[in-house]
This record gives sequence, structure tokens and C-alpha cells, in this order.
Amino acid sequence: MAYLEIENLRKEFRRPGQTPLKVIDGLNVSVEEGALLSILGPSGCGKSTMLNIINGLDDATSGRIILNGKEVSTKARSDVKVSVVFQQPRLLNWRTVSDNVLVPLLERGVGKREAKERVEKYLDLVGLGEFGGYYPLQLSGGMQQRVSLARGLAIEPDLLLADEPFSALDEITARKLRQEFVRVWATTGRTILFVTHNIREAVFLSSRMLVITARPSTTFLDMEIDVPQPRKPEDDALFELEKSITADFMRMEDESEMKRRLQEAVA
Amino acid sequence: MSTSTEVADDSGIRVDTDVVRGIEEPVPIKRRKSWKRPLRRFSALIGIIVIWWLASLFMSPQTLPGPFLVFSTMLENLTEGDTYYQLAVTMGRVLGGMTIAMIMGLVIGLIMGLSAWGEDLLINVVLVGFSIPAVVFGILFILWFGLNDTAAILAVGVAATPAIAINIWQGTKAIDRDLMHMGKAFRFSQRSMLTKVVIPQLVPFVLAALRTALAISWKIVTVVELIGLSSGVGYMLHWWFGNFNMTQVLAWTLLFTITLLLIENLILKPIEKRLTRWRPHAAALEGAA
Repeated sequence: MAYLEIENLRKEFRRPGQTPLKVIDGLNVSVEEGALLSILGPSGCGKSTMLNIINGLDDATSGRIILNGKEVSTKARSDVKVSVVFQQPRLLNWRTVSDNVLVPLLERGVGKREAKERVEKYLDLVGLGEFGGYYPLQLSGGMQQRVSLARGLAIEPDLLLADEPFSALDEITARKLRQEFVRVWATTGRTILFVTHNIREAVFLSSRMLVITARPSTTFLDMEIDVPQPRKPEDDALFELEKSITADFMRMEDESEMKRRLQEAVA
Repeated sequence: MSTSTEVADDSGIRVDTDVVRGIEEPVPIKRRKSWKRPLRRFSALIGIIVIWWLASLFMSPQTLPGPFLVFSTMLENLTEGDTYYQLAVTMGRVLGGMTIAMIMGLVIGLIMGLSAWGEDLLINVVLVGFSIPAVVFGILFILWFGLNDTAAILAVGVAATPAIAINIWQGTKAIDRDLMHMGKAFRFSQRSMLTKVVIPQLVPFVLAALRTALAISWKIVTVVELIGLSSGVGYMLHWWFGNFNMTQVLAWTLLFTITLLLIENLILKPIEKRLTRWRPHAAALEGAA
């Protein structure tokens, strides 16, 4: 059995006075240990919901998530070390930058001395070594997001759930951080789920890519990207891949648009 | 209460346009030290005193004594030990009542903010309590407990509670759910969730509540002292009122006003500054407060 198994996952949100909103409709994925799996899909297709379910913050309507051989739910969160990077920084603005990285480590039971070393190491990694004593609101949005990245990495997780972590950054910063991100992943060999709507980013980063359809989500495309690491953003092979996936993506959007119109016409 | 909403908006998550700015320079927390700000703040006060002085020139000291006479009477009062005793008695009652109001207000406000059930149950009680004139609480508690400190403190406590509860209730509404999600994702313990995520977000509202409590408590305590007690600033006001001594009535009012200003500037402001130093706009907001 693979490291992470998503079996026939379904999620609906109840809405008062309406039919439930179907977000995920029978998703099947198995992820090998050490993969960097990109999950690409149109916005609102339940990618964040899926990450929440994997982290035990939300329950599936039906289906199962099995992480390292154990089924996960809100009542039984996995003992696997899971960490997250959100799309927004989500920092404690009343704590210093260092504290923001430190507090989750202490919550996880990391010893004080080691935690402090890790804070220093990962703040250096995201280029904020000198800003440990600052408060988040003194930093720009991009710097805040880098603090959030350092916080996520400092846990040194077995499974990292990244939810469009670079989408709010300027391209130059994003590019630098992507390279660091891949380097950290390659040296630690841990598993990463990386949600994005940026095709180029997905192609550049991942060892495998999953394209999912609009709500309710199912798998549209599941492909290995066997370009060796470290990759160059300007690599022609990557560019070709990007082009073909973009074409597929557009086709998928068209199909779903057609389907919706057809359904409307029938109704 | 308008300041507290501004505070809440400001503590929200910001992933905004800074990113596009490109220049990644940290924003320094500005603390302008200038004599202009305090001058501006006190200029209105000085204006009122000038108007008071001008008006007093045209009236007899029995109707409206001038600021100099009132001020010198106050200083004269301060040479007598009894003045400090009366002031201390009133402050004791204010503090006692405030403590009760803060505790009850925090509990009620949190219940209202954290459970829909609690909100439905308590909202009308709090709003009714808020609209009942303080003097009614004074009369009720004096009738029930007699002419003593217990009555005064309880009256203040109960009368100030609704305002505190409303403040805290608003505060819980402004808690950032995304941050709570972050805490859960990183497996914060229940305790850390409360102490590191929830309570820091409530701090500005608790401070606002503290201010409101102080202002309300002092108003209620003087009324209660005036109608039924034989000590305290309210009693002294009543006594001098009975003697038709306008100068002393104003002197006592002035004394208490100064005491409150000192509490605000020497205790509340520094606490606020310490607790909100992480906010770059602290200086700007202070002006609004």
C-alpha cells in the first residue's frame, strides 16, 4: 500500500434550504513516499478541502484517507508529522517572527534548544535571518509569506501540505523560493502535496502531477514528470510539458463548460 | 466603541498589495515624539477653561465661580487629610465595582460570543440592562442592602456589566477564524489556542472595556453616594450642594476629573502601549482613542 491512499473520497457541504454542495466526487489517488505531488485544478474545486481532510481538520462525507497505514479522521488524526503552508501567511501578529516559527515547534514537543536552532536555520533558508526580532506587520506581504514557509518547513514534516504557498509572491521571490523548496525536498526525501493553479510551477516542481476537474472534483489527468532534478526553469522539456498540459487543461475546461450548458438545456 | 472596530480590522491578515511593491524593506514602527500632539490634545480643554473664565466675569461667584477660584479651592482642599480619605473611599468603590463588572462582563461577553445559544439567551438581558438608568440600580441596591459599601459596589458592578459584556462580545466576533484554523493545523493544545491565539486578539477589546468600565463606574458611584451614602466624592458634592456652595461643587468635580485623567495617562495608556507595540499603526490609532 502506498504512503498516502485517497480512496473514493467524497465531500459535500450541507446548505440550509438547498441541495448539498458537492465539492469532491469520488477522488482516488495513491501517493508514494517521497513524492512531490502537485495538485492542479480550477479554483473552488475542493483542493483546500482535501488538504484539510488529510490533516484531520475536516471529515469526508464518504471514502477513506489512509496515511502510513492508518485511517485518518478528525477524531483520529495521524501520528505522521504533518505540516502546512497556507496561501496567506496566517501569522500571530503579536508575536515576533522568531516566535511564529518557534511556537508550533514547542507545541509539537520539540526541545527548546533544538527548536531555537531550527528557527534560525529555516529563517536563514527563506532569507529572513536578520528579521527574527521583527513583528510580522513590520514586514511586507512577501516577507510574511516567507515566515509562513519557514514555519511550515521547521516542523521538518514527513508530509507537507502546501496550499498555493507562492501564489501571493512576486515572481522573482517565488522563483527563488521554489528552488529552495525543491532543494529541501530533495535533501530530506519527504512527501509533499502541493496545491497550485500555476501550471508552470507545477511542472517545474513536481515528480508527479494530478489535474483535477472543476467541482465536484474527480481526477482528469495523472502523470509522472520524469525530468531529473535539479531542473532549470527554462528547460525546453519542461516548457513542452507545460504547453501540452495547458492544452489539456483548456480542453477540460471546455468540456465542463459544454457539459454544464447541456445540463442547463436539458433542465 | 468605534475605535475598537478599527483595531479589529487592522489585526486581520494582510496579503495585500505590499507584494507588488517589490521593495522588501521592513516598515519601521513610527513613534513620533513631538510636543505638538499633546498641545493639540489639550488645546480644546484650554479653550473650555478660557470660555469658563470669560463667562465667570459676568456672573456672581455664587452662580459661576471662575477657574482660578475653583482651582485654588481644590488645592486648599488638598491640604486637608479628609479630602484624601473621601477620594480614597470613592476610588475603592469604583475599583470594587469595576472588578465585579469586568469579571461578569467577560464571562457574559464570552458566552455570548462563543455560543449562538448563549447569544440568544443573553442578548436581550444585556440590552435591557444597558438601557436601565444607573440611578435605578443605585436605588434598588440601597433598598436591598442598606446605606453601605456593599450596596454601592454591587450597584456599580451590575450597572457597568452590560457595557463590558457588549465590548467583549464584539471582540469575540472579530476573532480571526483563519488563525484558529492555523492553530489547529499545527496542533496547538486547547490551552495554547486560548492563550496564544484567542486572548491576544481580545486584548484591544478588553482595554476598551476597561476604559468604559472606569468611566461608567465613576458616574454611577457618585450618584449612589449622592443619594444614600455618608462618605465619598458624591457625598461631598451633595453636602456642598446643600450649602449652595458652587465653588466647592466645582472644586470636587475638578479633583475627580484630574484623578481620572491621571489613571488614564499613568496606568491605562502605558499598559495599552506595551500590549499593542506589535501594531505599526498604534501611534495613529492612539490619536483616535
